[in-house]
Amino acid sequence: MKYLLYQLKKHPLAIAGIAVMLVWLFLAFFGPNLVPFTHTQMDSDHQMVAPGVNGHLLGTDSLGRDILARVVYGSRSILTVALMTSLFSTVIGVIIGFSAGYFGGKADTAFLRAMDILMAIPPLVLSMVILGILGDSNIGSLTIIVSIAFVPATARVARGVLLTEKSQEYVSAARIRGESHLYIMFVEILPNTTGPIIVEATARFAYSIMMVASLGFLGVGMQPPTPDWGMMVIENKPIISNAPWAVLFPALAIASLVIAISIFSDFVSKVLIHER
Amino acid sequence: MNRITRLVLQRLGSLLATLVIMSFIIFMLVEIMPGDVAQMILGQSATEEAVAALREARGLNDPVLQRYVRWVGALATGDLGESIYMQGVAINSILWRRVGHSLVLALAAFILFVPLSIFLGVLAGVKEKKPTDSVISFFGLATMALPEFVSGVILITVFAVTLDWFPIVSVIPIGETLFGNLDILVLPALSITFVMFGYVSRMQRSSMISVMNSDYVRAAILKGMPRRYVIFRHALKNALLPTITIIGMNMGWLFGGLVVVETLFGFPGMGSLLMTAIKTRDVPLIEACVLLITVIYSLSTMVTDIMYSYLNPRIRYQGGQR
Repeated sequence: MKYLLYQLKKHPLAIAGIAVMLVWLFLAFFGPNLVPFTHTQMDSDHQMVAPGVNGHLLGTDSLGRDILARVVYGSRSILTVALMTSLFSTVIGVIIGFSAGYFGGKADTAFLRAMDILMAIPPLVLSMVILGILGDSNIGSLTIIVSIAFVPATARVARGVLLTEKSQEYVSAARIRGESHLYIMFVEILPNTTGPIIVEATARFAYSIMMVASLGFLGVGMQPPTPDWGMMVIENKPIISNAPWAVLFPALAIASLVIAISIFSDFVSKVLIHER
Repeated sequence: MNRITRLVLQRLGSLLATLVIMSFIIFMLVEIMPGDVAQMILGQSATEEAVAALREARGLNDPVLQRYVRWVGALATGDLGESIYMQGVAINSILWRRVGHSLVLALAAFILFVPLSIFLGVLAGVKEKKPTDSVISFFGLATMALPEFVSGVILITVFAVTLDWFPIVSVIPIGETLFGNLDILVLPALSITFVMFGYVSRMQRSSMISVMNSDYVRAAILKGMPRRYVIFRHALKNALLPTITIIGMNMGWLFGGLVVVETLFGFPGMGSLLMTAIKTRDVPLIEACVLLITVIYSLSTMVTDIMYSYLNPRIRYQGGQR
């Protein structure tokens, strides 16, 4: 804990990043109750009004919906999906990558071939095609598809760190003791590889936010009336000359959150690599 | 057989397997999902006879495997089939022009971001821990984190709405070509540059720092050679290698980014075509776009690998050792 505080003092930028993340988490939980409007309420007398008019702190869109309320409400879905995606893709990646690296031989070759195939398609293109065909995305389908698109990358990282540990003596010792494969993989090796895996998971968190925002922007993310930051950008783009705030504020929301998480994950990797 | 031939053959084989598996999955996915293409073309008010006739005419009543095999067979002869949604227009007649546009856009972005990020990365690496470095590094971290459409929207607000230098949307007027309207390329290419800049300049910076701290560079400096000469002649040659790899690895993001940027600007490229195809459930068109993106992406990573081993004598001469 003391070490963490010391590291935080050395990286003042990381404090700002963590603060912004916490603000968004707070807004996702309590924000919708604090904003004077709801995300679907249409103020028909005040369409496309500038920030500040009639209590609309960030202005309204072409239907008179409050931008602030929609941005705050939209943080819920994106944070949920991104958190679950980074968790799932890391867990699945560790299981698959560990098994492939641990057993080696044919299993490993099959794993590498399968990953080559999945990696031959850009992850964003893969997810948008599948989500687009499935239609009517919700939190569940978004999480599953984006996790699948991310697994090749996380599994490769997990396989790599396992291979560096596999030849250690404590692994042979456990094998001679007659421990089961599962025990060796997850009780002996896993605790020694938490550093790189946590670094990968936090980096995935930032990637997930970018990915979910982009999918929402392409119209294959959360469906209306749930506000989605990416979707707000594209649906308000036609009115950008008259009401730039309707596009800029959701874009800035994405920017602040992703940059904060990137700074955070940069910090985590610096701290964990220092520790080694 | 030398190493590069083997690498090319292996990659081509894996690419072929990818294409077969992906195309089959997409065919099956569309098949099991609800929604009728014929109904969609004719609209909700169409009579049942009309829908049935259209299904018959387009061969939609045949079993899915038969349709898949027929499609693959036609593909082998270079026939990509007909778009279902656009009333049977041959895909070959619309796709290639769009692909050309996308490649021009990608090339424009490439010309912008490669020299820019390498130059600024070298600058940051040489001035490590000085204000120049901090500014470039923070800018790199920030732009890398922004999805293309966010930086694109910011660029539109500044350069199109406020300053009115460039158009807000990048459409080509009917009857004109892309080359008569090159100004529409600027903002989309800049949006892609933003994202790629972060990755490439950060990589260039860190490899520059490690090379500048190596013995041979220190020897060159102590020998009294001009600093500029040491940086560009001695250090940069080795510091460029990891950068080339990272550019290749990020081609995937570039192609994903093209879809986003083209949608934002309404640019008539392959990405926006794929988007339309997905929204209209136009299977042959989705297949054609996805397969093409996969091919271009795989070929570009293959070229990067070959270039890397060509540029790095340690890999070139050691043969099979990897």
